[in-house]
Amino acid sequence: MKTFEENWTAWLDGKLTGKELVEFEASLPDKGAAELEKGDAQKLRVFLKEQLGEHAMANQEFFHHQLRQQIESDSVQTAPVESVKTSAPESWWTIRRLLWTGATSLAVFAVCTFFIMRPTPNGGQSTYLTQIINARVDPAVSPNATISMFETKEDKVTVLWVEGLQTLPSEYAAK
Amino acid sequence: MRARLLVFTAAVMLSFISSTLAQGMETVWSGLVMANNVPEPTPIPAELNRLEGTLKQLFGYNQFQVIGQSRQTLKNGEEDWLAASKYFSLHVASKAAAKSSYLLNLQLFQQEKLLLETDAKLSKSSPLVIKGPQVGDGLLVLLLVVE
Repeated sequence: MKTFEENWTAWLDGKLTGKELVEFEASLPDKGAAELEKGDAQKLRVFLKEQLGEHAMANQEFFHHQLRQQIESDSVQTAPVESVKTSAPESWWTIRRLLWTGATSLAVFAVCTFFIMRPTPNGGQSTYLTQIINARVDPAVSPNATISMFETKEDKVTVLWVEGLQTLPSEYAAK
Repeated sequence: MRARLLVFTAAVMLSFISSTLAQGMETVWSGLVMANNVPEPTPIPAELNRLEGTLKQLFGYNQFQVIGQSRQTLKNGEEDWLAASKYFSLHVASKAAAKSSYLLNLQLFQQEKLLLETDAKLSKSSPLVIKGPQVGDGLLVLLLVVE
């Protein structure tokens, strides 16, 4: 059992036939107004078909259409980036260059530091400690003198220890 | 861009040269120090501050007084100088040696008399201490420190 609206739509579209058509038209309260409305609907349908109906494309035209759409979508994607690039002022100090400059500076600093600070090889002895090469006392003045050398580990002090020098009176301590 | 490159290069060169020059100019403090034991010792001189513990431990004295000193800036590494007290003098002649060290010839005189002579390679980070003769109840100590 169709509703009135279904029958009305089918009637407007001209799809009611036979007994259904007779019964529906008999049920209409104002058949004149309904006929008028049906005429308007048909006119509107024809108009819409003319204006909005699908236009069949040939193969060549279809591919052109596809290509144009692709180009348009590509240009929409790239356009904002270009506009940003052109709007910002060009600067030499880009992030990448800054990073490269920083890395280069550090490398130069490291090389300079290495060449300046590197210890010079010195026969296996550390150049950071003072070395006593030789020491002597006058045997005529201090015949019993003995000499020894050592290093203290705390302050890296090198000590030349001379024993047996002639003892002097306290007035020799004067400034 | 070229100007920035020039500025950068100049800065690198300047830092390199200044660090090299800074390393080349050093001062050597030479001192004749009298060590003895007293009931109330005077404070240790500033030059010996960082060696106070070592000196006390080495020699067993509680007072250290500078009786003669000299501070010499080494410009080309070949200088000679004298640290003297009334009766003692320490003559130092330096020759440039490897980096961070100086080849020194040291002569301790008691008036005109040579008591002790030594050759040493003095390092920047390592002071030289020499035990000298007994003087009265104390001891003469010679010190050389690169400042």
